[in-house]
Amino acid sequence: MDCGIQGGDKVEYLVADAALPLTDKLNILTDAAKYDVACTSSGVERKGNGQGIGNCVAAGICHSFSGDGRCISLLKILLTNECIYDCKYCRNRCSNDIPRATFTPEEICTLTMEFYRRNYIEGLFLSSGIIRNPTFTMELICRTIWLLRNQYHFNGYIHVKAIPGAAPEVIEQAGYLADRMSVNLELPTAEGLRLLAPNKHRKNILTPMRQIQNGIQANQNDLVLYRNAPRFVTGGQSTQMIVGATPESDYHIINVAEGLYQKFGLKRVFYSAFVNVTGDKNLPALPGGPPLLREHRLYQADWLLRFYGFRAEELLDEKRPYFNVMLDPKEDWAVRHLGQFPVEINRAPVNMLLRVPGVGVKSAQRIVAARRSSKLNFNDLKKIGVVLKRAIYFITCNGRMMYPVKLEEDYIVRQLTDEKERIKFGSDGMSYRQLSLFDDSAFERPVSKVEKLRAAVGEI
Amino acid sequence: MIVYRCETSMESIFTAVYRAYEEKRVHEETIISLTEEPLLFAEDIWVEPDERKVCKVINTLNRRFGQDNYLTLCMALASEDADSAQAVYRTIVQGLAGNVSKGHLFDNLADDYVHRAFALARTVNTEIGHQKQFLRFGELENGVLYSRIGPKNDVVVFLMPHFADRLPMENFMIYDDVHNLFGIHPAGRPWYLLRGGETELPIHLSEEEIRYQELFRQFCHTITIEERKNTKLQRNMLPLRFRKYMVEFS
Repeated sequence: MDCGIQGGDKVEYLVADAALPLTDKLNILTDAAKYDVACTSSGVERKGNGQGIGNCVAAGICHSFSGDGRCISLLKILLTNECIYDCKYCRNRCSNDIPRATFTPEEICTLTMEFYRRNYIEGLFLSSGIIRNPTFTMELICRTIWLLRNQYHFNGYIHVKAIPGAAPEVIEQAGYLADRMSVNLELPTAEGLRLLAPNKHRKNILTPMRQIQNGIQANQNDLVLYRNAPRFVTGGQSTQMIVGATPESDYHIINVAEGLYQKFGLKRVFYSAFVNVTGDKNLPALPGGPPLLREHRLYQADWLLRFYGFRAEELLDEKRPYFNVMLDPKEDWAVRHLGQFPVEINRAPVNMLLRVPGVGVKSAQRIVAARRSSKLNFNDLKKIGVVLKRAIYFITCNGRMMYPVKLEEDYIVRQLTDEKERIKFGSDGMSYRQLSLFDDSAFERPVSKVEKLRAAVGEI
Repeated sequence: MIVYRCETSMESIFTAVYRAYEEKRVHEETIISLTEEPLLFAEDIWVEPDERKVCKVINTLNRRFGQDNYLTLCMALASEDADSAQAVYRTIVQGLAGNVSKGHLFDNLADDYVHRAFALARTVNTEIGHQKQFLRFGELENGVLYSRIGPKNDVVVFLMPHFADRLPMENFMIYDDVHNLFGIHPAGRPWYLLRGGETELPIHLSEEEIRYQELFRQFCHTITIEERKNTKLQRNMLPLRFRKYMVEFS
């Protein structure tokens, strides 16, 4: 496809830092890009074309993991960190005094190609600070990936940001070159955005999101008619929300996410625990570090929405706006709806199996396949991959529970949360042992002062 | 009790499977063994690979169970465990007897042998996935991309199609130092495997290579968010045994 952008143009905006060595530029612009969460290379299955370089695997491939445990799948860099905006939470805001740098399109292409052929990365994730104006920035991004696709014949994964406020034509051009596009929602509500990102407006963010959604839809219709029609954002679009910078509740965030999945056809919503890098007075101080557990619970709930058939209002409501710290959202839902349990593994429909804590999508499928040929018992479930230590309170096999369990909310919550009081398992998950007089799990508890006194006076 | 003694190769095992059917054995009393461990009151039969029989077995497996399940069986056989042959043999028997339809060979996970073959194939598949993630190429002075890996199972044969599709115009070579096996891909031509050969090749990396290794190391270091540091999670996702082959950890 010719999008009318010539790759070999001299780039006039770069004169100032042309002398900066590549090592320093990579350093500055990686550092500037690292707070962006999305680093997935999934959603596109594309064979190599036998000529250029690269292919795509639907599941995505993570090539390394950094010291914070997050995957390194794509070369995640900014085109430039010379931003004209002044968002309070952002490290690259114009009022912050940090070293600035800008890549030339050729530098980005060479880096991507050389990293890719050494199997370091799965592709490129290109984002950018706003240089001059949104449309100009988007044009630069577009020029870079055009070069990468057409001059360097790169056939791997490309994820680019759609810059809010850029002209729709440029966004469309980028869409035909990239595999995934994303527009960051940044904050769940318009008020939060107004407070912390004065240059961004919710309307500006949602416009390109809607445009990409319509583009994908139209492209799918085209592809039905013409098999070789150019493909538009095949990997779908994603977005990101910062968690913990503004006072929104989990209920609010998960509702926004559900709305985005349903109304905007998003592939993924990412949640980013807020890290205070700027120390602005409008931002909360986080003495305990970023809200990682909250982020984790949101991701768990996100999976429940997308793959397990849950709805946001089932998980939380106005009266209980935050997720339980001790239980994961699925356990939490299950103990509040004990009326629907226990579930008979050999007969229950798959959508009910999916609601059992400890049963994932794969194990539910395997259960359904396996119970066609034989009656399943608890040992078989273990083989299939069900996490029995969570599931046993909610399931029966052939009408029996594994152990006698009281179907009572308090009891089950205690069992699920208290490590020590859990029914003990051997390393293989199944163990039977002789009952003994000292089997009381309270036996290892240290003796309290009162008990010592009572023992001394002969009461115990 | 009949014991077919095979060498550790797919050809040998498939020949044994064919012979078990050809000689009308009772499957419950037949074992395909990869070791030489003697069994009491058992009759040993040593199996020589036979190309014609192997082809027939492969055709039947593909026709009856479909290509995906056949590939899963191959993965189970690539495992280093000594009971892989027996598990695969009995899985095939179970599938042929039970008349399972295409793609449903591994449905009956309650069966011990099916589960064992499934688990072995899953282990090998995970290893293949890991190698696709963590394998690193280094450019030699003559422009050839060279990679050295140390997989637990024999997975090079499963890696080659992936990288040949990805880098069709590159000369590259993957060396498995545990099984002493080379996977070689000449630019623009089909790949092939080479067992044995010279193991202590002198490796001269190009100057560009050292520069890009340094750039990538720096990239991995910079992208870490200090506030979220979690080396335990990193170790879960990227086990230590892979790290000695990876540029960013050396």
